[in-house]
Amino acid sequence: MKHWIGICILILTILAISFVVAANINVLVPSTNVRTLAEIYLKYTYYPWDKYFTAMSPEACTSIVWDFRGLDTVFETMVFYLAIIGAIALARGVPLKLPREIKGELGLSLIVKTVTKIVPVLIIAVAGSIALHGHLTPGGGFQGGATAAVAPVLILVVFSQFYLLKRGVNKNSMLLLRSIGLTGIGITAFAAVLIGLATGHYAFVLQNQPKPLAPDISLPAFVGGQLISGSLWFFNFFEFLAVAAGFTIVFLLITLPEKLAEAKEEKHVAEGGEK
Amino acid sequence: MTLLDIVLIVIGEIMIGIGALADLIAAIGMNRFPNFYLRLHAATIGTIWGAFLPLVGAAFVAAGCKCLGEYRWFMAGGALITAFIILILGPAGSHALARGTHRSGIVPVEPKVVDHLEEDESMPTSQETREIGEEEGGSP
Repeated sequence: MKHWIGICILILTILAISFVVAANINVLVPSTNVRTLAEIYLKYTYYPWDKYFTAMSPEACTSIVWDFRGLDTVFETMVFYLAIIGAIALARGVPLKLPREIKGELGLSLIVKTVTKIVPVLIIAVAGSIALHGHLTPGGGFQGGATAAVAPVLILVVFSQFYLLKRGVNKNSMLLLRSIGLTGIGITAFAAVLIGLATGHYAFVLQNQPKPLAPDISLPAFVGGQLISGSLWFFNFFEFLAVAAGFTIVFLLITLPEKLAEAKEEKHVAEGGEK
Repeated sequence: MTLLDIVLIVIGEIMIGIGALADLIAAIGMNRFPNFYLRLHAATIGTIWGAFLPLVGAAFVAAGCKCLGEYRWFMAGGALITAFIILILGPAGSHALARGTHRSGIVPVEPKVVDHLEEDESMPTSQETREIGEEEGGSP
């Protein structure tokens, strides 16, 4: 009897939502008017006629995230990497090493392995396109990196962790990649200042296009006829590297085989240490 | 709009309709079937008949619609690639689920006529990794 009540509530909810949408009640349905702030963003996101306010990127989200409020995003990135640093610090001393010999075949069955040989290539290609076109189409560095991190997870589950470790995808190489990404973000943030110091002009940190107080310094919006939106392409690319590597480290740590941890504990107990 | 376009659109719409029907059947099956393996069968009906077929149908409809301009080929290609990925991923995923469940032995296999996998697995196998406890320390 109880599930009939649930079904009735579900059907009534669906009917009520349909009624609200069909009757176009203004309180519940968002209005079609755009507020002034949104109008400014939509106007200036790609507006080459006013070089002092535009971000030169047709993608409003990316231009807000890495240009209009770029400093916020730097701090967000810092929070995210502090979390990952915390995970790595918690797992220090945990062995991420190959066993001396592996007996038998690891991982799932041949069917799943064959499919998994095809899919990670597609995932990484899509992730690259999301990240590198982040200033043109919806997407960006973080989204592309998170997508790319799905490929190692798939390989971890299907082929086992040793498959990745044997091919050099371990904690240290991923830390190196992550550090390259973060250093790239830092250099891109200070690029305008460095150029300004070298040429003797005023410039801002996180500056992309020329600003009223720093009219002489700007990062190129076009390279070889292709729109790269100044610093946005570089931010997206380095964020892609950093996020993909950071997530891969976390996934490597949380999928540590229990046998390794158990073996270490037994050894510890056998040596007379406390548990 | 030529005859070929109309034929493409009609075939595509029929495929999308079959997909909707298959999704309904799969949903009923997910609710009504008594155990895991049978529900997995209903779920794969939803992925192949209810996702692969409508995507191919959507590709046909996009290819037939001249009103969409040149971009219809992008839509058709995207739909076909997605359909292909679902076609290879759906069976592999359901296979992995079914195999994992069977090996762990959580769910009894019923109704059962013959179970070759059980006969294969009753033979002794050794997939243990041995001697993994030594020579690991990491940085303290």
